[in-house]
Amino acid sequence: MDLIFLQLLTGLAGASTLFLVAAGLTVIFGVTRVVNFSHGSLYMLGAFIAWSLLSRLPREPDYFVLGVLGAAVATAVIGAVLEVVLLRRIYRAPELLQLLATFGVVLVVQDVALWVWGPVDLSLPRPRWLRGAVEIAGLRFPFYDLVLIVVGPAVLGGLLLLFHRTRWGLLVRAATQDRDMVAALGVDQRVLFTSVFALGAGLAGLGGALALPQGSANLNMDLSVIAEAFVVVVVGGMGSLGGAFLAALLIGVLQAFGIALVPKITLVLVFLVMAAVLVVRPHGLLGKPQAMARGEVEALAPIRPAGPALQVLGLVALLAAILAPFVAGPYLLSVLTEAAVAVLFAASLHVMMGPGGMASFGHAAWFGVGAYAAAFAAKGLGAGMAVGLLLAPFAAGALALLVGAFVVRMSGVYLAMLTLAFAQIAWAVAFQWVEVTGGDNGVLGVWPDGWAADKPTMYWLALLLCVGGALVLRRALFAPFGFALRATRDSALRAEAIGLDAHRLRLAAFVLAGAGAGLSGAVFAYAKGSVFPTYMAIPHSVDALVTVLLGGVQTMAGPVVGAVTFTVLQSWLLMGDFWRIKLGLLIIALVLAFPTGIAGAASAVWDRWRGRAA
Amino acid sequence: MSVLVAEGLRKRFGANEAVAGVSLAVEPGEMLALIGPNGAGKSTCFNMLGGQLRPDEGAVRLGGQDVTGMAPRHLAHLGVGRTFQITASFASMTVRENVQTALLAQKRQAWRFWQAADAQHVGLAEGLLARVGMASQAERPAGVLAYGDLKRLELAMALAGDPVLLLMDEPTAGMAPAERAALMALVRGIARDQGVAVLFTEHDMDVVFGQADRVLVLDRGRLIAQGTPEAVRADPRVRAVYLGTAA
Amino acid sequence: MMLQVENLHAGYGGAKILRGVSFDLAAGEVLVLLGRNGAGKSTTIKALMGLLRPTAGRVRLAGADIAGWEPHRIARAGLGWVPEERRVFPELTVAENLEVGRRPAREGLAPWTPERLFALFPNLAELRQRPGARISGGEQQMVAIARTLMGNPRVLLLDEPGEGLAPVIVDLMAEAILALKREGATVLLAEQSLAFASRVADRAVILETGRIVWDGAIDALLADTGARARHLQV
Repeated sequence: MDLIFLQLLTGLAGASTLFLVAAGLTVIFGVTRVVNFSHGSLYMLGAFIAWSLLSRLPREPDYFVLGVLGAAVATAVIGAVLEVVLLRRIYRAPELLQLLATFGVVLVVQDVALWVWGPVDLSLPRPRWLRGAVEIAGLRFPFYDLVLIVVGPAVLGGLLLLFHRTRWGLLVRAATQDRDMVAALGVDQRVLFTSVFALGAGLAGLGGALALPQGSANLNMDLSVIAEAFVVVVVGGMGSLGGAFLAALLIGVLQAFGIALVPKITLVLVFLVMAAVLVVRPHGLLGKPQAMARGEVEALAPIRPAGPALQVLGLVALLAAILAPFVAGPYLLSVLTEAAVAVLFAASLHVMMGPGGMASFGHAAWFGVGAYAAAFAAKGLGAGMAVGLLLAPFAAGALALLVGAFVVRMSGVYLAMLTLAFAQIAWAVAFQWVEVTGGDNGVLGVWPDGWAADKPTMYWLALLLCVGGALVLRRALFAPFGFALRATRDSALRAEAIGLDAHRLRLAAFVLAGAGAGLSGAVFAYAKGSVFPTYMAIPHSVDALVTVLLGGVQTMAGPVVGAVTFTVLQSWLLMGDFWRIKLGLLIIALVLAFPTGIAGAASAVWDRWRGRAA
Repeated sequence: MSVLVAEGLRKRFGANEAVAGVSLAVEPGEMLALIGPNGAGKSTCFNMLGGQLRPDEGAVRLGGQDVTGMAPRHLAHLGVGRTFQITASFASMTVRENVQTALLAQKRQAWRFWQAADAQHVGLAEGLLARVGMASQAERPAGVLAYGDLKRLELAMALAGDPVLLLMDEPTAGMAPAERAALMALVRGIARDQGVAVLFTEHDMDVVFGQADRVLVLDRGRLIAQGTPEAVRADPRVRAVYLGTAA
Repeated sequence: MMLQVENLHAGYGGAKILRGVSFDLAAGEVLVLLGRNGAGKSTTIKALMGLLRPTAGRVRLAGADIAGWEPHRIARAGLGWVPEERRVFPELTVAENLEVGRRPAREGLAPWTPERLFALFPNLAELRQRPGARISGGEQQMVAIARTLMGNPRVLLLDEPGEGLAPVIVDLMAEAILALKREGATVLLAEQSLAFASRVADRAVILETGRIVWDGAIDALLADTGARARHLQV
C-alpha cells in the first residue's frame, strides 16, 4: 500500500514538470501553428541555467525560488530572441518546414550547451530542506514531490486565468482561431506572437529548472522530453491546456507504475498509451478536429512531369552514377551506395508525404523492418540474398497495411505522431527482443551472395533496386492512382463526391511507402552486412524527413536531390566535432533561403528564367 | 418515376433538431429549388441526400433503390453529381486534370499504377470543359481560378459521371448577376436535354424564380411551402420568414 | 476628403488585378464599388486594408498616406474591414468577438459600445454568450460588422455584406447601413448587386479589369441604361 502511494506521488510529481513543458508547447502551437521541435531544447536550457544560478546562490529556500524563476525568465528571453530571429520569418512557410527549422535549432542548442556546460551531467548538491519529508497519515512523503504536485495545478489555474480574464488572453485566443483577422482589427501580431513564444519558452524553462533537483542537467534531456511532451500534447488534444494536464497526469502516473512493475515496458509505454488514445479518440482527449488555421492556405502549384531539360539532366546523372565504380575509390563507393539507398528511402516517404499529404515521423520503422527481414532470411532461413530482397518489401508492406489501417484515419500532426508511436514500438521490440534481434548488438553477417560480394557489383545492385524502385514509385504517382491520391489530398470531400475511396487510396500510399522503405532497408543491410535497432530509431526517421524536405515535397525530383545532398553532407562536411551546429545552421539557412526545398526553388528559378526567355 | 425520393428525413444535433421531417421528390429534367433562411436546415438536408450525413429517421431512394446513409462515393457511381457551397476542387492539378481525375474515378480506373494518367480521356475531358465554357482554361492550375470559374469546373466534374441527379449547394454564390444567370441557364439546358434531375439551394431570388420549375421552402427544419415559383412568391408565410422586400 | 485613392496598383504573384484605381470618398458618404467577378472589388478592399501590398499608388486616409502599411497600423489609422467571409471567431462568444475589436475612441466620433451595437442589431443582444460558430450566417454578418465598429473606424469597408444570406436578412443589412449613414458613418461597400447598392449608396464607381470605368451618383447610374448594360450587363 505504502509503495503504491509513493509511486503515485512520484508519478504526480513527474506529471507536473511534464505538464509545464507540454503547456508551453501547446500554447505556442495554438497561436503560431508552429510545431516547435526545439521546445525540449528550451527545457534543457532551463535546467542548465538553473544549475548555473543555483550552484552559485546560497542554499536557502528563497534563493532556490529566485534561481528557478530566474532560469524561467532567462529561457523566456531566449525564446523571444528565437522567435524574433528565426520563427517570425517562417510563419508563412509550410508546417513541416517550420518543424525542420526548429529541428535545426535543436542541433545548434545541443552544441552550444556542450560548449558552455561541457559533456558531464550536472547535478545540484541538494540542501537539507530539499531532501526533507513530510509526514501525512503516518506516511513520509518527500517534500519536493509535494511542491511539484502543487506547482502543476497552480500553473494550469494561472494560465486559464491569464487566457480567460485578460485582454491579452482574449487576443491570444482570437489569434489561435484567425490571426489575420486579429491583425485587421488593429492588433500587432508580432508583439502577440513574441509574447506567446516567450511565455511558452518560460514554461519549458520553468519545467527544466524544477526537474533539476531530482535529476541532472544533461545533453540528452532535450530529445527525451520533447518526445514525451509531444505525446502529452497530442494525447490531450492539440491546443487544449486542460487536455495537456489530464494527459500529463495519465502518462506521469502510468510511467511511475510502469517502471516499478514492468521495467521492460517503459520504453514503449508512453507510445502505447498514445496509440491507444488516438485510435479511440483521433483528436486526443479534449481536442477538437484541427481546423485549417486561416491565413496560411496556400495553393500548391501543379506537379509537372520532368521537362526535356530535366530528363536529360537526370539521364546524365544516372549515367555518371553507373560509371562511378570505374573511377571511385572504396570510400566514395560506399558513400554512393548509401546515397542510392537514401534515394529510395526518401522517395518512398515522399509518396505518402507529398502526393499522399501524410507526413510521417516514423518512416525508419519500415526501413528497419525490411532490414530485419533480410537478416531473418539470411540467418534464420539461411536463404540467399534474392529471398531477403523479396521478403523485405512484402514484410514491411504487410506490417504497413496493419498499422496503416489505424493511421490513415487521422491527419496532420496527429497522423505524424501516430507513425512515430508505432516506430518507437518497433524500435523497442528490436531493442529488447534480444533472442531474435540480438538487441543492441544487432544481427551481424548479413552478407550478399558471392556474385555480388565485391563492392562495385553491390553498388550496381543497390543502384538498380533503389533508383529503379524510386522510378517505379514515380511512375505510379503520374498514373491514375497518383492523380486519385493527390485528389484525396487536395479535397477529400470532392474526391468522395466523384466516387473515390479516399481511405483506401491513402492506405495504398502508406503500404507503397512502407514497401519501398523496406526494400531500401534490405539493400542497406546487405551492403553493410549488419542490422541494428538504430535503423528504426527516431534520428533515422528524422533523416528521411530532412531529406524529403530539403529536396522539396511538391516536386518529384525532390527526394532524389535531397537524398544525394544529405548523404554527401553527412559524409564530408559534417564529420568531426560540432557537426550538429554545422548541420543545424545549414538546415536553418536552407529553410530560410528555400522555403520550398532545393528542387522546388530550382524549378521556380527555371520557370522564371524560361518565362523571361519566352 | 421520380429520380430522387426522400421520406420523413430527420436529423438532430444535440438538443437542436436541424431537420424535422422533410419529404421531397425530384423528377427527371426538373429544376427544383430548396430555399429558406440561414440555419433552416438546407445544408443538413442536402448532406443527408448526398450521403455526407446519415439521417436519424427517414429514407432516401434513388431510382427506386434505397440509398439511405450510403457513402458519397457509392452514390457517385449510382449517378449523383454534386457541387458544394464552398468550392472543392483539386488545387494542385490543372483544370483538365481535375476533370480527367473525375472521369477516371467514375469509370473505376483509379487503381491503375502504370499508364500515364494525363493521356487518359483527354477528348472526353475537353468536351466536358467545352460544355461549361472552360475549354480555354484547360491548362491553368485549378488553384488560381476565379470563383465563378471554379463553380463551372465543379459542374464539369459533376457531369463526368453522366449523372441522373445533380445536387448543387448554392451553385451561384459569389458570382456576379450576369454570371449567375448564365451558369443556371447552362444547368437548365443540361437538365432539359438529358433528363437530369437538379436539386439546388440558392439565395439569389432572380435565379430561383427565373430558373426553378418548382420551389420548396424550408424553415426551422420543416417544409413550410412548395409549388411553382409564382405560388411560393405569393405565399405570405414565405414572405414573412424569408423573402422580405425581395418578393 | 476622408479617403483618397490615387492610381492604386496591386495583384497576386504575377497576376495584376488593379491597374490604376482612383476614387475619393467624402466623410459621411456611402460609396459602392460595383463590377463583375474578378474586376477587382475585393482586391481593392484588401489592398486598402494592407492585406495585399499595393505595388504602386497612394491611399490617403484623413491626410496620412497609408499605402504599404501593415494591416494593424491601417486599422489603427481608421480603416475598419468587414470581410466577405465574415470570419467571426468561432470559439469566442459574441461578446468576446466584440471585445477583440475594441480600440480607443476616436476624436470627433461618438465611441461605439456593445450597448450601442446591440441597439443597432437587436438580434445580437440575446446571443451575447453564444459562441460564434453557433449562430446563423446572418447573425455572423452582424457580429462581423459590430466587431469592426468596436474599433471606431473612420471608414467602414464592407465586402459583399449580403452574400449568401436570405433576402430578409439582406433587408436587415441594408437597414443597418442606412442607420449607420444617419449617424454620419463613412462607408465603402463592395457589391455585386445593383439592387442592394441602390438602396444604400450615394455614389457608385464601377471597376472593370482593374480600372475605374464609371464614377458618379447612384441615381445617375440607375438612369444611365447604357452604362448599366455596358458595364454590369443589367
